[in-house]
Amino acid sequence: MRRAILIAVPYVWLLALFLVPFFIVLKISLSDIALAIPPYTPTLDLSQGWAGVRDFFGQLDFENFVWLTEDDLYWKAYLSSVKIALISTVLTLMVGYPIAYGMARAPEEWRPTLMMLVILPFWTSFLIRVYAWMGILSNEGYLNQFLLWTGLISTPLTILNTQTAVYIGIVYTYLPFMILPIYAALERLDGSLIEAAEDLGCSRLQAFWLVTVPLSRPGIIAGCFLVMIPVIGEFVIPSLLGGSGTLMIGKVLWEEFFSNRDWPVASAVAVVLLLILVVPIVLFQRNQQKQTEAGQ
Amino acid sequence: MTIKTLTLTAVIATGVSAAYADEVRVYNWSDYIDEELLSKFEEETGLTLVYDVFDSNEVLETKMLAGGSGYDVVVPTGTFLQRQIQAGAFQKLDAEKLSNAGNLWDVIQDRTAGYDPDNAYSINYMWGTTGLGVNVGKVREILGDDVQLNSMDLVLKPENMEKLAACGVHFLDAPTEIFPMVLQYLGEDPDSHDTDVIGKTEEVLAAVRPHIQKFHSSEYINALANGDICVAVGWSGDILQARDRAAEADNGVEIEYHPFAEGSLMWFDQMAIPVDAPNPEGAHKFLNFILDANNMAAASNYVYYANGNKASQEFLEEDVIGDPAIYPDDATMENLYITTPYPAKTQRVVTRLWTKIKSGT
Amino acid sequence: MNSAVFAPWEDPQAKPLIQFQNVSKRFGDFTAIDTLSLDIFEREFFALLGPSGCGKTTMMRMLAGFETPTEGHILLGGQDIDPIPPNKRAVNMMFQSYALFPHLSVWENIAFGLRRDNMPKPDLTARVEEMLRLTRLEQFARRKPHQISGGQRQRVALARSLAKAPKLLLLDEPLGALDKKLRQDTQFELMDIQEKTGTTFVIVTHDQEEAMTVASRVAVMDQGKLMQVATPDRIYENPNSVYVADFIGDVNIISGRATSSAEETYSIEWAEGQAPLTATSATAFSAGQSCHLAIRPEKVTISSERPADAANAIQGKVHDIAYLGNLSTYHVELPDGTIIKAQTANTRRISRRSFTWEDPVWLSWTATAAVLLAA
Repeated sequence: MRRAILIAVPYVWLLALFLVPFFIVLKISLSDIALAIPPYTPTLDLSQGWAGVRDFFGQLDFENFVWLTEDDLYWKAYLSSVKIALISTVLTLMVGYPIAYGMARAPEEWRPTLMMLVILPFWTSFLIRVYAWMGILSNEGYLNQFLLWTGLISTPLTILNTQTAVYIGIVYTYLPFMILPIYAALERLDGSLIEAAEDLGCSRLQAFWLVTVPLSRPGIIAGCFLVMIPVIGEFVIPSLLGGSGTLMIGKVLWEEFFSNRDWPVASAVAVVLLLILVVPIVLFQRNQQKQTEAGQ
Repeated sequence: MTIKTLTLTAVIATGVSAAYADEVRVYNWSDYIDEELLSKFEEETGLTLVYDVFDSNEVLETKMLAGGSGYDVVVPTGTFLQRQIQAGAFQKLDAEKLSNAGNLWDVIQDRTAGYDPDNAYSINYMWGTTGLGVNVGKVREILGDDVQLNSMDLVLKPENMEKLAACGVHFLDAPTEIFPMVLQYLGEDPDSHDTDVIGKTEEVLAAVRPHIQKFHSSEYINALANGDICVAVGWSGDILQARDRAAEADNGVEIEYHPFAEGSLMWFDQMAIPVDAPNPEGAHKFLNFILDANNMAAASNYVYYANGNKASQEFLEEDVIGDPAIYPDDATMENLYITTPYPAKTQRVVTRLWTKIKSGT
Repeated sequence: MNSAVFAPWEDPQAKPLIQFQNVSKRFGDFTAIDTLSLDIFEREFFALLGPSGCGKTTMMRMLAGFETPTEGHILLGGQDIDPIPPNKRAVNMMFQSYALFPHLSVWENIAFGLRRDNMPKPDLTARVEEMLRLTRLEQFARRKPHQISGGQRQRVALARSLAKAPKLLLLDEPLGALDKKLRQDTQFELMDIQEKTGTTFVIVTHDQEEAMTVASRVAVMDQGKLMQVATPDRIYENPNSVYVADFIGDVNIISGRATSSAEETYSIEWAEGQAPLTATSATAFSAGQSCHLAIRPEKVTISSERPADAANAIQGKVHDIAYLGNLSTYHVELPDGTIIKAQTANTRRISRRSFTWEDPVWLSWTATAAVLLAA
């Protein structure tokens, strides 16, 4: 009995906090826009009894999903989101890997401190940190002032409100998610493996590519998914740091919801986004599982 | 509520309304009132005032359409108000409880009636125009001293925009503001709901689009004040705020607000009571308090926006009532126009067009 | 063991493969290796033996190139190898943890070093197959390291380090992770492979039995210094210090003063009221010089009667008996409280054992059985 309760807890949790909201969104995505409260129809009228329920289901249709295929905006936005997510994942990996490597190679007594420094930004609101970047990157911002002062540039660089700023923001924000799993993989790495590789004729660099990188692969994969999955749906960073040319599905979703007041289409966009994310999430799960098995 | 009807539901109902009876919840734009007025209201009425703020009509509208927001007074802009009235989000005002309603300014009343027929659901709080925020020094430096700072040419002529691009130009991220503006520029009806007519704006905007750094509806306040950008198409009050911030910071940035010489869009922020307001009684008390000439004048003197309260004008300070950027002169007033909300189908086309213009997709 | 015929260290003409020339290695204040000189010859199976922290692993890591000497030089085939990085040395190492690459199959692990040399594909395949045969791993070639047993992993590590046919193979506690039975089998396998390949092996171990079994010569180390370098039998039979005698096997140490009684023969005064002991020694001792007499327990005979012709005989009583199956060790307490261990083979069943606790017994040994060491 206690066992059953223990098992039930996470399922009830999932049901209440994931499945039920998802079905509500799914239901709205099958509804039609209406100028009413709430702004869609039909709504379930239980006072009508069975007929009401039948009437309710009779009015649901896939019209909104068809709509998504008719306008190229949506798939372009999905594609552009995936592209931005991929590029920023690669950038985050390029920045994060050396940091994780450095941490794992640092003297044992420094590591907790380094770890804390990586986690430290989480203590401040994400929004405030993104706003701080606006202050750094703007035309009259600290970066330009510094570069002008050093004489490297003579006119301020336009970074804020460009794609570059979006990538800077994403890399900065998601860096800890990349560093931590890679660090965990590298820290477990037996130092004698590197020595063995060198002993067998590898230069330092070869040993890194042939041994360190393959062995930290589970960490790299975990980190990449942890960055890529949320970035695909990212809304705040592109809207604050990006220019208007930054097309991302999060922004399209926002517009459907707020500008068009079209909750049904917005929900359909969200459902499709979820389906797109299911692929990497399943791959990620499989990677985690493989890692657990290998660890046993 | 009488003791006779003391059923279970009534117990719950009384319980709830008792909790709300001495509390008024107001949801207004950020930086939009003199906070001393809030405590003054509490002192005068003995009610507790819960005052929350928002910064976009869309956020407010979503709360209204979702229902059960728990607010007693909200402040949507005219076009949004109209649609929300149609959705059934508001309750009619009880004229008997608004003894100060006589203070309202007929000039404004006539126009807001376009959104709220007979002004049955709302009273005007503030109003303003959409126009140009200009960093005077930088724009003159780039385009010469004799540049016209109040013309749409500044932001809709590619040759001007090309030169201003490096310095930075922001547009409001609001198709309902920009399309009417461009239609006015083209000599069309700014309030046109004909999608073909609206489509004519695309060519004009596409030509200047590469030189627009960002479409955003609030960032330009800081960006202008800090000197990060040169020109913004924005709301009068916001740009005046930027002007004051720059002056306070004493950073050598001089900002001016100009309504368009070609004619500016006029907007109205209206106070209304949600249909499911927990305390409509208190809400009316708050509206009546705001309608008081002295209180309204205090608010305008604080936020530098024009209001729809004729009686308050004698209490306004000279730098408010005398500033043509806030209270435009008669000639400019003539030129101002209003728009009405798009029907849902048109709205979709407009949003789509807007996305296409912004992102090139 | 071929040490009877194979003894290049006794040939003054022989050129050593490895030469440590006054090598010191310091880590901060800690001296790991202290001005040490040593020659190791080609085809040798050389064991570095000592307790943990004695510097034996540092020696090995210097040979592999992971550490460089603070002072002195290490020569390989006459060439100073100090500036050569590990990947350029004709030296391979088998790691204590085996350090097999977990992401590569057994086959790829063995091929790893060969690929770095860009060996042509047919040659590479042939070499890997040869190594697999040598270490009897043919049927495990496709497995990953975590899919094979500890003993098999050990053999993969060996095959991998031998694949490049190094001039010198270093083995760091190669059998430490194996259980006792497997370890003994593997020791002989190692010797076999060493003989077949003709590679010079340097093994680091803290297990004296292992060192004695596999090595042609053993170097006993303590605190960064070599205590004795000699063949296993000499180390055992003729330790040059109490430290070596004590470290290798079991030993009884009796302290006393030596006086010459005949040529290369000394009588040792060791306790009041006890007859002096007799021992032979090639090392000269001055009269009355304090000394230690080291006697292996198996060289002490235990009997109930005083043996008539014994050079040394002491009476005591059985204090304790350790039964080891094939052997029994008697702890005999002398009148002055000293404990002497005597070992006998259990050729009879235990119930027929001649002595039991508290029995008075005689311990005896010959004059050549004990080693006389300077204090």
